[in-house]
Amino acid sequence: MPKTVQLFVTCIIDTLYPQTGEAVVRILNRLGLQVEFPAGQTCCGQPAFNAGMRQQARQMAIHTIRTLESAPGDIVIPSGSCCAMMRHSYPELFADDPEWLPRARALGERCFEFSEYLVDVLGMTELGARFPGKVAYHSSCHLLRELGVDRQPRLLLENIQETKLVELPHTQECCGFGGVFSVEHPELSAAMLERKIANIEASGAEAVVACDAGCITNINGGLHRRGKIPCAVHIAELLDKVEPA
Amino acid sequence: MTDTFHKAIRIAQANPTLQAALDANMERRLAVREQAMTSLPEDFETMRQRLHEVKTRTIARLDEYLEQFVARAQANGMIVHHAADATQATRIVIDICQQNNARLVAKSKSMVSEEIELNHALESAGLRVVETDLGEYIVQLRHEKPAHIISPAVHLRRDDVGRLFQEKLGTPYTEDIPTLVAIAREKLRQVFLEADMGISGVNAGVAETGTLCIVTNEGNARMVTTLPRVHIAVMGIERLVPTLADLALVLHLLPRSATGQKISVYNTLINGPRRPGDPDGPQRRHLILVDNGRSALRGTPLEEALLCIRCGACLNACPVYREMGGHAYVSQRGEISPYPGPIGSILAPGLLGQSEFGHLARASSLCGACKEVCPAGIDLPKLLLRVRAGGKKIETQRTPEKVPFFLAAGLRLFTWIATRPGWFHMAQKLAGLTSSLASLGGSWLRLPAFSGWGYSKDFPCPADRPFRELWPAVLDSQAGIPTREPPAPREITGDQPVIPVSTLTESLVERFEAELTALGGDFSMCAEGELARRLVEFLRKRKIEALQAWEAAYLPGDGHKLLDALKEAGIRITHQADPSIKAGLTGALAGIAASGTLLLPGGAGRPLAASLLPEIHLAVVHSDQMLPNLEQALALMEVRESAALALVTGPSRTADIEMALTIGVHGPKEIQVFCIENQG
Repeated sequence: MPKTVQLFVTCIIDTLYPQTGEAVVRILNRLGLQVEFPAGQTCCGQPAFNAGMRQQARQMAIHTIRTLESAPGDIVIPSGSCCAMMRHSYPELFADDPEWLPRARALGERCFEFSEYLVDVLGMTELGARFPGKVAYHSSCHLLRELGVDRQPRLLLENIQETKLVELPHTQECCGFGGVFSVEHPELSAAMLERKIANIEASGAEAVVACDAGCITNINGGLHRRGKIPCAVHIAELLDKVEPA
Repeated sequence: MTDTFHKAIRIAQANPTLQAALDANMERRLAVREQAMTSLPEDFETMRQRLHEVKTRTIARLDEYLEQFVARAQANGMIVHHAADATQATRIVIDICQQNNARLVAKSKSMVSEEIELNHALESAGLRVVETDLGEYIVQLRHEKPAHIISPAVHLRRDDVGRLFQEKLGTPYTEDIPTLVAIAREKLRQVFLEADMGISGVNAGVAETGTLCIVTNEGNARMVTTLPRVHIAVMGIERLVPTLADLALVLHLLPRSATGQKISVYNTLINGPRRPGDPDGPQRRHLILVDNGRSALRGTPLEEALLCIRCGACLNACPVYREMGGHAYVSQRGEISPYPGPIGSILAPGLLGQSEFGHLARASSLCGACKEVCPAGIDLPKLLLRVRAGGKKIETQRTPEKVPFFLAAGLRLFTWIATRPGWFHMAQKLAGLTSSLASLGGSWLRLPAFSGWGYSKDFPCPADRPFRELWPAVLDSQAGIPTREPPAPREITGDQPVIPVSTLTESLVERFEAELTALGGDFSMCAEGELARRLVEFLRKRKIEALQAWEAAYLPGDGHKLLDALKEAGIRITHQADPSIKAGLTGALAGIAASGTLLLPGGAGRPLAASLLPEIHLAVVHSDQMLPNLEQALALMEVRESAALALVTGPSRTADIEMALTIGVHGPKEIQVFCIENQG
């Protein structure tokens, strides 16, 4: 029996980028894993949590815990910030709740960000992908600083055949997304994005790879508004570029 | 969300001078910080974790530590006052000034005094207060608040300062930073000498000894705590550490985090007022312990903010501070927060009021750059999120007050839908359809600016079919797919921390020399018998005919013989402070090899002014007085017993104008260390 993993696809990928979700499944399949998609999953609750609306965040967290706790095995999440939310912020949300705190903790222990899962859990760094071109890696904030994941996606990218990984200047600087921040403080968000775009252009990369669909939406939205080519892509889409068997 | 706040942000963003200054601040401060961390005795993570534990324990048992601290300080002769709030604190200061018939107050930089708006209160009471930190002096002349915790004038350029001095001080316009610094030195020197009262903050108080530690680079804190006849130290009650060893930890992390220095030029250690027979120091020292909301923060979700040591690193790392600068962090009513940046967005609501300042915490992308650099290991994003959720009292049953109306309504609707998967799917379909129509079949939506998102970016149209709809087909495609055995699970391993070895490979004297000379100090070895001749040579070359010196008994070796030889050569020796004297001669209690630091005690026969007022500081130290590190120096008994001491590392310096390093502000411009090799 192949090992089974659960996919928490995240509301952004589900709604905006279903092709990223498909790529994630194909990659995991190629590694011999059976992927399941627990029905009923929607959003982890990060928007409400970031807005300060704990009541709504708890409702979303309870919904997500209930949906995922009946599905056995590791949970793979193709988004650093959603994974950080479930691993670190759910326990914060239920700090005073003896019923839900252990359930939140138990869930958090099963959650892995996609690139972290490939490298740290499966021990895979070479997936047989080929992408001719120059790519740069954007370090998403929560992935880097809350999950401590940075080496893993870089390793995966370095091992894509014909890909030249170039350094994105100031890669660790926030792109200005920040969830509700980007709508509450559009001027600040815009200035941060401007800097990120300038750095992307300075890198000379044809594609900017990230492990977080929030950053991708922000960066591509800014590029498109400026009449430039939206070149931010999810790491799964690059890793999925394999020669047909 | 307040219009005042948004307006302040827009004004800051539209100011190109400010933007250039903020860019430069971030770039430089982060680079020097990172460099400085490589010289920590242990790795940053280990040391900040230790400081986190020390401060957490201190805050948890604050009442006990305060009691111990106050008892020690009183036993040392300090007059201790407790102020529950800003009004009480300013009242106490005014009363002390009036009791002492003070007119002119020299003040060194203090964040808590900004918090309690001390200057305003003193001026209203008819006192003249002069800020003596160069950056603070500049913003005070401009009637502004400091724009940064450690770089008050970060928002200004040299021409701003040139025009300011021309207008307010009547000096000829110049853009030359050393000239501007020299002007300030001269003006402020008069203030130090004439002030009846010195007011300082406190960087750390040591509970076990009652010691106050004040950190500066320019030397102004040494001046205001040494020259005026009365000194008042204003201290937030959370600035305690239990022991002198804990103080060493703070002194390792604070300057590296703040300015990228291994150690600040002057760390003043104060135990009490001048004692009978002491040549200098104030007759009375008052310590005002300010609560002002700190006790009320304990035990709340924001308690961790009390761990802050006010280094300003989170400001330097913050991409939002970089856009806004310090003056855009305004209250609901438009008043500038005394504490800007990420930590300010927690402290201001926590100490001064959630409804006035709570909105500041919403101006953060929660990127965590602040947390990454915090030397006290404060989880700033976590605390910012708690402020957003209500602050000291987290709202779990209703929406907290600062959430913008439309956002709150939208998120309530979203939550209702997203907890009902069927509805969620329908909403996805509806969004796909509407956006397809709105974008005329394109793949991007151009939202209006007022939506927030549309201000600077387009939004991708939702997919026609969300992932959940594709799932059945994806599931089918998986049938029989596994082409190989799943890989064996691997142990999760993190990167192993590298712990630098801090053992000295060179001798202590060599290390001391290397450190001191790197900072612009001079160092030479000298046989005891040669010292007098060397000093005379030096003084003649500089055409200096008078010295303020320590008394003979306290100079290393045969001090009497040394001073007699100098007198014979025509050098006038005095032990009293005299502003006209160009050089001071001191011994030292110890030298600290790791940082090129001299530990100078005050007290009988050892005027502190001798290493402070003259432009040139000549110090004589024995090679066997060299200690490897700060911890060992702070463990010396005299650190507990002297009324006041100074740790001096290199010449006085400032970088308050455009971060340009300028040597010689209030303290000496030159430091010359003669090290006497011990026989045998």
